[in-house]
Order: sequence, then structure tokens, then C-alpha cells
Amino acid sequence: MTDTNTQEPQQAMEQLASAISSEVIIDLNQVNKWYADFHVLKDIDLIVHKGERIVVCGPSGSGKSTLIRCINHLEEHQAGSIVVDGITLDKNLKNIDHIRTEVGMVFQSSNLFPHLSILENLTLGPIWVRKMPKAEAEATARKYLERVKIPEQADKYPGQLSGGQQQRVAIARSLCMNPKIMLFDEPTSALDPEMIKEVLDVMIELADTGMTMIVVTHEMNFAKTIADRVIFMDEGDIVEENEPNEFFNNPQHERTRLFLSQIL
Amino acid sequence: MAIVKTEKTPAREAPLSETTIIGWMSKNLFGSVFNSILTVVTLYIIYLTVRDVWVWGVADAVWVADNRRECFKISIDGACWAGVITWMDNIFYGRYPREELWRINLGAILLFVWMVPLWLPRVKAKVLIGVTTVFLYPFLAGYLFAGGDKGIFMQVMISAAIVCLIGNTLHSIIGVLTGSSLPEFLIRLLGRQDAPEKSQHKILFGILAVSLVVVYLWQMGWHAEGVSWTKWGGLFLTLVISGIGIASALPGGIILALGRRSRLPVIRVLSTAFIELFRSVPLITVLFMATTMFPLFMPEGVVLNKLVQVIIAVCLFNACYMAETVRAGLQAIPKGQAEGAHTIGLGYWGTMGLIIMPQALKHMIPNIVGSFIGLLKDTTLVSIIGLFDILGMLRSISRDTPWLGLHKEPLIFGAILFFLICFAMSKYSRHLEVKLSTGHKK
Repeated sequence: MTDTNTQEPQQAMEQLASAISSEVIIDLNQVNKWYADFHVLKDIDLIVHKGERIVVCGPSGSGKSTLIRCINHLEEHQAGSIVVDGITLDKNLKNIDHIRTEVGMVFQSSNLFPHLSILENLTLGPIWVRKMPKAEAEATARKYLERVKIPEQADKYPGQLSGGQQQRVAIARSLCMNPKIMLFDEPTSALDPEMIKEVLDVMIELADTGMTMIVVTHEMNFAKTIADRVIFMDEGDIVEENEPNEFFNNPQHERTRLFLSQIL
Repeated sequence: MAIVKTEKTPAREAPLSETTIIGWMSKNLFGSVFNSILTVVTLYIIYLTVRDVWVWGVADAVWVADNRRECFKISIDGACWAGVITWMDNIFYGRYPREELWRINLGAILLFVWMVPLWLPRVKAKVLIGVTTVFLYPFLAGYLFAGGDKGIFMQVMISAAIVCLIGNTLHSIIGVLTGSSLPEFLIRLLGRQDAPEKSQHKILFGILAVSLVVVYLWQMGWHAEGVSWTKWGGLFLTLVISGIGIASALPGGIILALGRRSRLPVIRVLSTAFIELFRSVPLITVLFMATTMFPLFMPEGVVLNKLVQVIIAVCLFNACYMAETVRAGLQAIPKGQAEGAHTIGLGYWGTMGLIIMPQALKHMIPNIVGSFIGLLKDTTLVSIIGLFDILGMLRSISRDTPWLGLHKEPLIFGAILFFLICFAMSKYSRHLEVKLSTGHKK
């Protein structure tokens, strides 16, 4: 919207340079996307450094989910370039498959595979994609189940777990692939209030390990806790982008102020 | 005023009407006066029907007689089963040479032996066993049934089938007894379990190659008398046609359904056109077309026999129907499943084969078995184009001089046979459904 926005990422980066590595892991340059003739993403520029934790928020339909779904090419962008971990996303299917092994993603609904046990859900990727021996894959899976605090559920089926547990398994499933980046698409918005905390706790722990994370969420307390940067989107534009303290206490754009006043 | 419950309400026993048979009856059969009248009238109608059928079909029926006239002499009102019994061999085997019937029976037994491991507990690699049933058994059975000269290709396939059958059987015996698979057992037998995986594979391949060569040499001396397809008939022919149809409909349907959902326009349009073409034409038309049109497309000199033409037609027709069933199943799987699979790096085939297809097939079991039952019954149409399948055989009884005009009994017998087969299939599908639904059960 405003011309100053394009300057924002660089400024923010300089402030945070001490905390995170200077290695760029995601680079979006003038990305545009249309659903038929509806313009969802408009000239998006975004640079994410290794180890950075970014929270994306905004009203529904603002394009925030589409933005992160473009990063692992679940959605195709029509103009601009997306470079993830040094690889440009284009029509090359090999590249896309490779990117997807490096980028984990957790959805609003867990998308666990209901016909497989929890352990099988977790070992499927390592065994079939990473060609890991079964025993090793199972050991890794159990390690991550331990980390999301449900080691005892390994032999159950997804249908037998609560929503919060399913979401934690989904996080563990992504981690089993040993990804460099984790994307979260409103991971708690379909959960009962009682279960939100258990999922957020796991995500906070993950953030503490230095994982690069992009999180679409409406959990503003969570954003304050872990985010290095908060991005606010509206109608396909990145309207405001700032470090969390500034963003919440001193929002610049009128649209941001309105949004924050409605959800806080 | 605040209400605070201090004690838990204990669970009490359900009222008798919910747990006993008498309670159930008084609730469901005699709940009101009108309900009671309906129950009594219905029971009376059922009684009348069953009594008449019993008197005609069993009490007054004739079981032994030389011809229809004799039947009438013994009992004018009863069924004349004697005709059906005399023709029994024809109904089951058609005009297959009587001294060669063991080949058909052996084929059936081999199929049973091949499939039994699928139902045994502790046996590993069941999918592989199922796949070999579809791709190798037909060659062995085909040669058993048709006989004649074997080409090199047939010899290789027959040897592979025999090796596979022996391997299957050993594998399942070992599986049931020890819970391990045949390769694991062989490696342990040779004391090579500590050897690296590569050299283990070499040993297994060696064993496989040697047994293939041995069986190949053995089967060279084995020769079965040729039996022309014109002699095939009866239930045997019906099962051959529908068996091949069933075995090929599912793989064919899956390929066509994936083709129809493909992102590549050429494949999509071709699959759609193929499916719609066959679906919009009745099977009987396809059968007529097959027997009259196929020869026109064939290069000169190639003569396909009528049975092969019919089987190809049945396969294509049913693959197209199956394609639509499979497509419906694929569409019922939420998009998130594919996205979940993509995010852990699975490509198209991995996603389809490991995530989407297993779930879709599970949902589709009732529809798939429904199509199979329909297929089995539809094959009776081949009697119209001159093949003596079971229906053709049943109807020719009434044209046999001693049993001239005997229509009712053979057709009723045929109906009972079909019912038994179809009901068994439908029961088995129900059983499969329950068994495979564990993934969703709470």
C-alpha cells in the first residue's frame, strides 16, 4: 500500500541481526498470484533468514494462507520468484519434491492419514522419501513423539486421538523429515480452547531449538512470545511488518490498528 | 441460587424392553393393534408361500427318473429335479471332455491353494500374494484348461506360476508356524543372517533362478491334451469369463480413473472418451460389436476366437464402470490428505499408492463388490451370442429330447446357484469392510 513498506524488511533485519543468522533461506521477490481472475497476492516481497520466526496475521481472505502455501508450492504463483534454500520454485517437479522434503507444514486440520497408525504416519516419509531403514525411522519417530509429549499413543490410529494430540502428531510427522523450515497454517484455530495451549507449548519449544518458522495464527500472545517479526496482511498486500513490540504497541497503518483493536 | 451436585448419579440397568427378545417383540411387532394385525397377516402370507414351495420343490418332487414323462407319472404336481440331476455335469462343465474334467477341478483347487494365505493370520506380504494371483495364476490355469502346444512365452509364464505357487505355499506354512517370511527363513536356514543385505539378495536370487530352471525343465515334459474353447461351457465358462473380468476390471478401472483425473489434457480426454463411450452402450451391443467388429480391425490372417473377443469386451466394459466407481472413491478423500502427503515429500505416485488409493478402495468395497456381482450376472448375456455358459446350458435342457419342455426346474436351480455365489460375495465384502474399518473406529 505505502511505499515505505518495501523498506521495512531491511530495517527490521538490521535490528534483529544479532539474534539470527544472516543466511537467507526464503526469498520472495514480487510474487503475484491469482485464483482465476481474483488477485490474491500482490507484489509480495519477503526475505526470511535462517532461524527467524515470523508470525503472519490478518483478516480472513487477506492471502496469508496462500502466501505460506506458495512457499512449498501447494499453490502455484504466476509471477515473481520464490527461492527456498537456494532452489528456485518453477515447473521442475524434482525441485518441488526436494523443497517439500526441506519444508515441513502443519495445517489447520491435522491431515493425518487415518488408515495408518500414529507410528506409521510418522515413519512413512522417512522410509519412502528419505529411504531410511525401518528401525531407524521408528526410533526417530518415537524420539519426536516423546518431544511432543505423546509417546504412549504410537500404536493408536489418528481417529482415536483428541484434536490437540492430532495436531502435535502432525508437528512430529513434519519434524521426522528433519526439515529446515516449518510452516504453520492456523494450527490452533480448529481446536477447543483447552487444547490450544498444549499445541502452542510444543511450538514454543520448537522455536527455542532455532527452527526457522513461519506461523499464520491469530494467537497474539503466542506471537508476542516467539516472533522475531510480525507481518500483517490485507487484501493480498503486506501492509505492515515490524518486530512484535512495536507492532502491537505502536501500529503504524490504520488497517493494522483497526484489526488489532478488534482481536485484542 | 447456586446448584452444586455433591454425588455422581450411578448408572442403572436398562429397562427390559431394550434387552430381552420378548421386550423387543412387544415393542416392534405388537406395539399397537394395527401393528399386531400386520404382523399376523404377514406371517400367514409367508407361511402359505413357504408351504407351497416346500410341497412343490421337496415333498412332491421327483429326484430319479429317465425322462420327463416318467416324472409326470410319479408326481404330476411336483418338481422334476431328475432332469437337472442328469444334466449336472453339463451345467457345471459344459461339453468339456469327461475324462479331462480333473483339469478344471485341479485349476479350481490351485486357485484355492493360491488364495488361502490371504486369509491366514501371521502371513506377511499378502499384497504380493494377491498381485501374483491376478498376474500369474491365469497363465497356469489357462494352460490347464486349454492345453495344446505351449509357446516359449507360455512355458516361461507357467514355470513362473508354478514356482510362485510353491513359494507361496511354503511362505504361508512358515508364516503361520513361525511368523517370519520365506526369504527370512531361507537366509536363517543357510546361516547367512549376518551377511550384508546385498549378498543376502544375491543368495535369494540364486535360489529363485535355480528353482525356475528346474521347474522349466520339468514342465517341458508335461503336456496336456488340447481342448477347443467350443467345448467350454456351463458354470465353468461363466466363472472363467467373470473371473478374468473381475481380475482385470479393478486395475483397468484404477488406470482409467487416474487418467480421467490427470492434469495432462490428452490423457484426460482420451480416458474420458473411452469411459463414456463404453458406458453409454449396453453390454449386449458391446458383445455383438466385439464378435463382428474385432475381426475387421485385426491384420489379415489373425483370427481371434469368439471366447477371447467376448472376454476382451467384458473386460473393457467393466473397466469403464469400475473407473467411475474408483473416481467416486477418489473424490471422497479430502484434499488435505494429498496436501499432507505432499508436505512430507511424497510425489504423485507415492501419494496415490500409499495415501489416497488405500483409503479410497476401502470406502469403495461395497460398490466394487456390487459391480463384481453385476459382472457375474451380466456374463449370462454371452449365451445370446452363442456361447454355452451356465444359462445356455440350463436352457438347452428343455431342448433335450427326454426332458423336452423342462424350463422351470433348471432355471430355478440356476437362480439358487447364482444366489449362493452372489450372497457369499456380498457377505465377504461386508466382512472385509468390518475388518478394514479399524482405522476409523474409536
